[in-house]
Amino acid sequence: MRAVNTQEQGAEGMTVEKKMEIQNLSMYYGGFKAIEDITLEVPARRITALIGPSGCGKSTLVRCLNRMNDLIDGVRVEGDITLDGESIFRPGYDTIDLRRRVGMVFQRPNPFPKSIYENVAYGPKLVGIKKKEELDSIVESSLKKAALWNEVKANLRESGQNLSGGQQQRLCIARVIAVQPEVILFDEPCSAIDPVATQLIEDLMAELKENYTMVIVTHNMQQAARVSDYTAFLLVQEQGEPGRLIEYGETNTIFTNPVDERTERYITGRFG
Amino acid sequence: MTAKQWDKVATCVFWALGIIAIAILAFIILEVLGRGLLTALNPKFIFGKPKAMGSGGGIFPMIFSTLYLVVLAIAISLPISIGAAIYMAEYAKKGRINNFIRFCLDSLATLPSIVFGLFGVALFVTAFRWSYCLLAGAFTLAILNLPILLRSTEEAIKLVPDTYREASMSLGASRWTTIRQVVVPSALPGIITATILPIGRIVGESAAIIYTVGVFVRNVPLNPFDTAAPLAGYIWARQAEHGVPDWKTIVNGGAALLLIMVFIIYFLARWAGNRYQRKRLLGAGNK
Repeated sequence: MRAVNTQEQGAEGMTVEKKMEIQNLSMYYGGFKAIEDITLEVPARRITALIGPSGCGKSTLVRCLNRMNDLIDGVRVEGDITLDGESIFRPGYDTIDLRRRVGMVFQRPNPFPKSIYENVAYGPKLVGIKKKEELDSIVESSLKKAALWNEVKANLRESGQNLSGGQQQRLCIARVIAVQPEVILFDEPCSAIDPVATQLIEDLMAELKENYTMVIVTHNMQQAARVSDYTAFLLVQEQGEPGRLIEYGETNTIFTNPVDERTERYITGRFG
Repeated sequence: MTAKQWDKVATCVFWALGIIAIAILAFIILEVLGRGLLTALNPKFIFGKPKAMGSGGGIFPMIFSTLYLVVLAIAISLPISIGAAIYMAEYAKKGRINNFIRFCLDSLATLPSIVFGLFGVALFVTAFRWSYCLLAGAFTLAILNLPILLRSTEEAIKLVPDTYREASMSLGASRWTTIRQVVVPSALPGIITATILPIGRIVGESAAIIYTVGVFVRNVPLNPFDTAAPLAGYIWARQAEHGVPDWKTIVNGGAALLLIMVFIIYFLARWAGNRYQRKRLLGAGNK
């Protein structure tokens, strides 16, 4: 039901402020161009979905938004990305601060081999929060926001890796929320978990939309249609070519009335 | 012969080879224990002081020397190994420098231990004027063990999944924080296991310590700068010099005790590693 709401809001097409802006972005792994000339706005407190067949560069693109690609040797970027109008590629830009503001949930749930409590408290401790009461309340509120509190409140000291896959992924969401980010990136967050757990996470995203700007990479078109307000379709035309942005717009429009024929073919499942 | 018969022959051959490997180990263990177990379990022998002349000497200062040496040598080599392994696994770019470090380590690992012993005499005993002492031996053994310890520590660090590093970095942790808070704690069970082999080697080493630590003491050495007499070296000296009438008993009993000590240390380290792993990594394999 929430998913329906989401779409209606998107369809109203109100003018929304933009949180992040991707301008003519190209990215290279060494000599290989992974994505080319992508221009995209990420509206504030909305969910933007990146869809496309595997290998189209959607994960690469989302990893540019918090500069996680920096960790790979030989990565080069052209073009620009701004966060609240400020370029994140500006020389001297603090990537640690960027990653606190732009959090990330990964494809496979990756809790640390620590207790549930320590997993959530990890981020706050990094910024120097030491007081037990303060940490306690952050852990509790983050787990509540991630809809996991009731399931784990009795065993916060147990290893986070003992939880089920879906619970682990919500733990990872709680861990991100505890850092109080402004943007949360989801890189195929449901690809490794079952449908019921997926449903929970989608509900959760709809709730989080009130306070957070979100970008979700998904290979599941139904998921994009259910959760997102805006959708961008990426595609690699021929093997060896970079991924390009084919179409970007409100999710409703993209799914019911796409402009580009390739988008329509993908959405109706005729290739990909 | 038919294929089936060949198969039978092959099975028998491999089975026999396996049995030979076990038999050799069993023979050595039984032989050593058979000759020395009775002496080794005698409290007078374990807790007694050695005698320079006359029979009935014990070996307590030697047991203590060995354990002291293990602690010192590991205390010196483990931090260096962890530090270097972190550099090699986390920071160093693949390429010439890394390969060169590996080449040096591998060369170091193949040197005979007497070479390390003589190096230890030249540097610690003579040049540093430490004389024969535990610390000189500990440094010598630390260098001797560095290649193995470093390599296995590096392997333990490399086994930490990259997803942990990604998660930590994405939460705004620096590389160093990630290593300290996530990578090293996750690698610790592996690192503990990695110290087993070097400890066994320290306990059993004689060539590298007879010229650096000493082969005879009357009392328990407390100061790291004291001369000491690790068990393996003492056994060697008694066997070589026949200094006391009951040297045979001492050698046999000492050898049995040495074997028992190695077993105890091995199982303790295994137990500690597993226990830590169970506490930290419960259910790590359920992905």
